[in-house]
Amino acid sequence: MPEEPHREHLLKIGVSGVRGVVGEFFTPSIACAFAQAFGTYVGGGRVVVGRDTRTSGPMLTHAVTSGLLAAGCEVVHLGIIPTPSLQAYVAATRARGGLAITASHNPSEYNAVKLFNAEGLFFNGYERSELLDLYHQRSFTEASNAEIRGVSSETADATRYHLDRVLTHIDVARVRARNFTVALDGVNGAGSVVTPGFLQNDLGCTLHAMSVDPTEVFPRVPEPRPDTLGELSSLVQAVGAEIGFAQDPDGDRLAVVDEAGRVLDNDDVLALAVDVALRRVKGDVVVNLTTSSVIDDVARTHGRRVYRTAVGEANVVEMMQAVDAAIGGEGSNGGIIFPAVHLCRDSYTGMAMLLDRMAETGKTISELQRALPQYSRKLGMMPFEHGRLGVMMQALEEAFPGVAADRTDGLKITIPGAWIHVRASNTEPILRLAVETRTAKDTDQLYDRVAQLFA
Amino acid sequence: MTSRALRISPAGIRGIVGPGLTSATALEFSAAFAAFLAPRGPVVLGRDPRASSIMFREAVLAALLASGRDVIDLGLTSTPVVQHAIRRIGAAGGVSIGASHNNSDWNALKFFGPHGRYLSSTEAGELLDFYHLRRTSYVAWDALGRLIEDSSALDAYLDDLAEAYDFDSLKSFKVVVDCCSGTSAVVLRRLNERHGFQFILINARVEGVSFAHEPATTARMVGLQLAPLMQPLGADAGFLFDVDSDRVALADDRGRALSEEIVLPLVADLLLPRGPGRMVITNLSTTALVNEIAARHGGRVLRVPVGRAAAMDALATHRPEQVAVAGEGTGAVMMPRFRFVYDGIASMMAVLTLMRERGQSLSSIVDGYPSYTLLKGEVPLSSPRVPKLLADLRERYTSGDDPGKANVVDGVRVEWPDRWFHVRVSQTEPIVRVICEQRGASPRALFDELLEEVRRRA
Repeated sequence: MPEEPHREHLLKIGVSGVRGVVGEFFTPSIACAFAQAFGTYVGGGRVVVGRDTRTSGPMLTHAVTSGLLAAGCEVVHLGIIPTPSLQAYVAATRARGGLAITASHNPSEYNAVKLFNAEGLFFNGYERSELLDLYHQRSFTEASNAEIRGVSSETADATRYHLDRVLTHIDVARVRARNFTVALDGVNGAGSVVTPGFLQNDLGCTLHAMSVDPTEVFPRVPEPRPDTLGELSSLVQAVGAEIGFAQDPDGDRLAVVDEAGRVLDNDDVLALAVDVALRRVKGDVVVNLTTSSVIDDVARTHGRRVYRTAVGEANVVEMMQAVDAAIGGEGSNGGIIFPAVHLCRDSYTGMAMLLDRMAETGKTISELQRALPQYSRKLGMMPFEHGRLGVMMQALEEAFPGVAADRTDGLKITIPGAWIHVRASNTEPILRLAVETRTAKDTDQLYDRVAQLFA
Repeated sequence: MTSRALRISPAGIRGIVGPGLTSATALEFSAAFAAFLAPRGPVVLGRDPRASSIMFREAVLAALLASGRDVIDLGLTSTPVVQHAIRRIGAAGGVSIGASHNNSDWNALKFFGPHGRYLSSTEAGELLDFYHLRRTSYVAWDALGRLIEDSSALDAYLDDLAEAYDFDSLKSFKVVVDCCSGTSAVVLRRLNERHGFQFILINARVEGVSFAHEPATTARMVGLQLAPLMQPLGADAGFLFDVDSDRVALADDRGRALSEEIVLPLVADLLLPRGPGRMVITNLSTTALVNEIAARHGGRVLRVPVGRAAAMDALATHRPEQVAVAGEGTGAVMMPRFRFVYDGIASMMAVLTLMRERGQSLSSIVDGYPSYTLLKGEVPLSSPRVPKLLADLRERYTSGDDPGKANVVDGVRVEWPDRWFHVRVSQTEPIVRVICEQRGASPRALFDELLEEVRRRA
């Protein structure tokens, strides 16, 4: 049984939007008001609304629709749709903005509203604070009857624009020629309605799919992690698949299982995607501070540099825009961001890139992964008291004198062949600790040393 | 102006969309309603064609689904059809979105209990308490309600109507209807298609923003477009409905725009002789003609304060079979056969049936009634001064040479054998209403005197 979530987790209204446990915490009133703040902020016009497969999706769709109409927006419903497809649709149809009703990788009882601007991108930090102020001030546009626009539903396949863009960046013919045998765990999410067609019809794969019923609840912990993908591993082995893909409920995150049923490290998946991207597109790489050094190694082979940001998709995206990056992402979160398709986490780009690389090289996914420089990482968390972070970070810095320290998000210390990153969680009174070295043994030793320092 | 743009009261919520009534208010009130209703059962939902009704539908749906209520959505339909569906389905209650006879910049939410009943004043007060306490019954993710679309509600309603009235005997009448861009167009078009009526419909394009004219069921509105068509078309009767079809007004075969006051006397004239009910329930502002009609058939009139809640409370204290009809001078009439739901379409059928049974034209039926002249006026009020004004009016008109009899249950009503007046504060607008009626002559002098007095004092 999952333990009762902390109270602070039950509802969070912040610069990233609103997220919480649906019911007495994340109420339809909050969703309505937030959408109205959003509609007020974008100044009316056409706004696109889509959702993942959560049971609360329809209810919250009604709530945000009423808020958007009240702000004088014209609402276009896309129904169940992966978040990257929604973002690409917003940009393609020149809408004023978009709302995705999805709590991404969070469990079923959660939901959230993600906000996108006219380009289908996150608002920047300044814009997000302005929007939050509007919400708190309740200074909304209140349309009169004559100013209220209507609601319509997109009847065409709203994902097509996105998927076609993905396909332009790979050699579709050589992927199709391989007729890959692929396993898929769609977690009964938004990908359920799109991914099977994408893999079978667009990429010519023989597909063995599980959990692709959008009317059913999530059959596993929705975050695609090694410890949640046991059934996909079994499926890969049972059907002799060459690769297995797992999505999260809104299709932005991707996890990969190799032909032996082993769940690949998400940092390695990102590294493979970085390698593919840098072969095609000029530009640098942006990842968060907790992502593996394997990214630096891959970028170096292409003569490219790596920018590091605070943890969080919005931070990575903002930096990618600023440096016009070729690719970016967040390793541990399974997020691959390839701006040539769209500046967002996108599992479809990831799937296409990996299959294309396998087709191009004739190698298995495990061979590709093993060709990467090998690192060992350990991620952990420990409780801490607010106010103690500064002291702990000082202690850490003093323990490793004279090395490179980055204080963008907590403290990251880089020593030759290794790094340590400590940061406070945004949502809970816990400290997140990540340590990476070349070997598992060194990593354990270094992790324990740091943990003792904080004890 | 904001203070005049929204009213949340036991009658429901009503206001000017934007400055007054907002989607947030509609959502929260609906959440309170879901918490207030009986613990189980779905909720029926319908809306009128206003652009804002589409917005409020989304807000109401969000609240009801979040409260674990399955919602049976009838889409664009009239309020009586919503009430009918609640009873047919055995739903826990229902919501009708639409501001009835108000202009398109207004909207309102009407809430109904089991069997499509209007809420009693006690229930409505309790609902209001729930709203003010912000009491909700939101459920967890795995218990949320489902949305169920129901397109059969209108036909089921019409089947019921066909049982109450002999449709075949009414089809030969030539009838013109002014739908005023509202939901009556949907109902009447279906009556034409499915039941072979040949109603001639004007202003039948359902509209969200620009109604064909002000949707009030008044003689003035009937006179605008409907009445002038009667003689050129050779029509037997003309009917004008408000946007959600619970009220109706009439034009006769001679092209006269009849007073909206006439609907209740006509329906009473049909139903009183049928029995078993001998009582007509109406409010203090309604024509005294209804008393004469009731007397003709050996019935009696119970006068209650203005407003639906008072009528419902009066109904609740009588057995259904004691009551022949209940209604107002606004053209809103309810009948026992239709579980006391204000229903303009059923009222229209009743008037046509009366014409058929008497074998008389509408004009000759009306001309057979004694002539009453009723004048209505309104004055903006200064609320602190109202009680004194009312007390003074009562004192002045119940003393002297020709003292009248006063009734003060709702403002002040004073009556004499041939005339009466009623001065009261509106429940929906910040105005004092002044109404005078006289038999056989115009009460103009009394009316002007009252209006002048109220203007000076209110």
